[in-house]
Amino acid sequence: MSDRTNLLRRALPVGGLLLALLVPFYLSGFWLLLGVMVMAAAIGAIGLNLLVGTAGQLSLAHAFFLAVGAYAYCWFAGAPGPGGGGITLTGLELPPLLAAVLAVATAGAAGLLFSPVAGRVRGLYLGLASLALVFLGQHLLFNLSSVTGGFNGRSVPELSVLGFELTGRDPELTLLGVPVGDRERQWYVALVCVVVAYVFARRVLAGRPGRALVLMRENETAAGVVGVPVSRYKAAAFVLSSMYAGLAGVLLAQAFQRVVPEYFGLVLSVEYLAMIVIGGLGSVTGAVLGAAFVTGLPSLLSHYSGLLTFLAEPGTSGVDPAVAARLVFGVAIVAVILLEQGGLVALGRRLRPAPRPPAGAAGQGEPGPPPDPASHPVLPPQDMTTASS
Amino acid sequence: MSEDTILRVDGVTVRFGGVTALDGVSFEVARGSVHAVIGPNGAGKSSCFNVLSGVYRPVAGSVRYAGRELVGTAPHRIAALGVARAFQNLALAGDQSVAENLMVARHHLTRAGFVATGLRLRSARNEERRHRERVREIAGFFELGDRWDVPVGLLSYGERKRVELARALAAEPELLLLDEPVAGMNHHESWAMARQIRRARDELGVTVLLIEHDMPMVMALADRVTVLDFGRRIADGTPAEVSADPEVIRAYLGSDEPASGAAPSDGTTTAEHV
Repeated sequence: MSDRTNLLRRALPVGGLLLALLVPFYLSGFWLLLGVMVMAAAIGAIGLNLLVGTAGQLSLAHAFFLAVGAYAYCWFAGAPGPGGGGITLTGLELPPLLAAVLAVATAGAAGLLFSPVAGRVRGLYLGLASLALVFLGQHLLFNLSSVTGGFNGRSVPELSVLGFELTGRDPELTLLGVPVGDRERQWYVALVCVVVAYVFARRVLAGRPGRALVLMRENETAAGVVGVPVSRYKAAAFVLSSMYAGLAGVLLAQAFQRVVPEYFGLVLSVEYLAMIVIGGLGSVTGAVLGAAFVTGLPSLLSHYSGLLTFLAEPGTSGVDPAVAARLVFGVAIVAVILLEQGGLVALGRRLRPAPRPPAGAAGQGEPGPPPDPASHPVLPPQDMTTASS
Repeated sequence: MSEDTILRVDGVTVRFGGVTALDGVSFEVARGSVHAVIGPNGAGKSSCFNVLSGVYRPVAGSVRYAGRELVGTAPHRIAALGVARAFQNLALAGDQSVAENLMVARHHLTRAGFVATGLRLRSARNEERRHRERVREIAGFFELGDRWDVPVGLLSYGERKRVELARALAAEPELLLLDEPVAGMNHHESWAMARQIRRARDELGVTVLLIEHDMPMVMALADRVTVLDFGRRIADGTPAEVSADPEVIRAYLGSDEPASGAAPSDGTTTAEHV
């Protein structure tokens, strides 16, 4: 039985990946764009879930770090010149791939700068303190116009390697009779990034840093006493989470092709919190599911608004697709909190045929066998030094 | 400090606002001994442990451990010096398995950071495997081998107490601080736990400092007992000496007329505790 579930466990990701590789050959631009946005949001949500779900530090600043990633990329890679509204833009014109790496690093540095605050306040207070970053970000995006382009925003240079555009359409490329244009290429770039981000986060959580973060969330005092340098780990969680947000920002910028300030407001932070709550706090897979749900729903509703006659046209009175999506998020969050706090990922676990727990493990509250010292294997004390060296 | 003294607590005073939780407490713990700190509720026992593990900073006094000053040292550095602590009210991660709850105690013995773990570098993999093997042995020592992959939240209370103790030992400590290791356990479980504590001392050479309410257990287990009452040390000696001490008997059974020596100097402190 365990062999079969193991096989399924291995086959499922491989099958999913193959499917994802084939998608651009069959689906239209709308679906590809939606997919890129979902994958970018998934990376951002994984980062936020590391911070909020795993390390237990409430942050409303995620939109700020997304903005840092998106705009830093544009500034590092962009060319100086006239922007909209009589603004003269600056830019470093670095190779785009290097600019992307630097943008992620910049977002991480921004997280590091904020981490002294995160080390001192907790819970709701940290949430409020982080809120300040969103407003600071909005102010900077509108007023630091030589970098950000101000109100009109800034166009996004394509990611490219040696003249081959990874997210544009130059040079033209046709694979098996299917043109591989900008949306197709963006799909593959986002896919690579999301897979790397997913695997990296899973491994971190399963290993030494993840265990330290979880204990820190459950009991900060105990984490310190057990040997975890608590303030350093809080800072590390903030930096890692911001770097994920930065990467998500770079990818979103590629999809939008123009970054504008309004997008990176408080609502975006709240949407990311909605993703991780709906998907499942502390779960990497949950973050991906939540990102798909929260990002996908408004687009799907407006795409099919012709069929959903109860939805109003955007701009007219009544419930338009965006409002309908928000209502659904609200209901979903309340439902998660009341019914299944593990979110979508726990719901999925319930639907799956449950593997039988190991013998005796299911007995909640049932006392275990009385410890019998006589039958214990003896622990040789000299092992202590060899094992720890 | 003599060779066979592992811990010397000297004149430690802890205050919270107007309340004096510990008032110039001093005692010494001999290397390789089982030393008990007892006293009625509010006597300052847990405050004492919080000073030893670096959670509280006393306003006065010093704590010397193996030649080092612990006052002013951060909790995670004290852990790295070889002082481990099992909490009274179970500070475990409930949705994590027994394995993960024990492995976290190896934090100061291991190196793998975010990058090495995320990229699964060879160094991180080897380290993880080596320490997992050793921690599995420790789990076996506490009869937790068959619970290895079970989330701690699904275990019985007695089992979780054992996980807490096993986690402290998984840090490979020289000094083990146990805060009421048998609180809430039934008679059978308590004595099994007592045997395990004694074996930890005998086989691993760990020095044990424990807080306990269960008097028969203290008398059977401890080599030496320090008695606290209202934040002051009122007795220190072998279990037999301490249990015959009139002041100890008064502290435990109560008395209408406090003897001059036992009365706290600060009247408000008394009021806070009664």
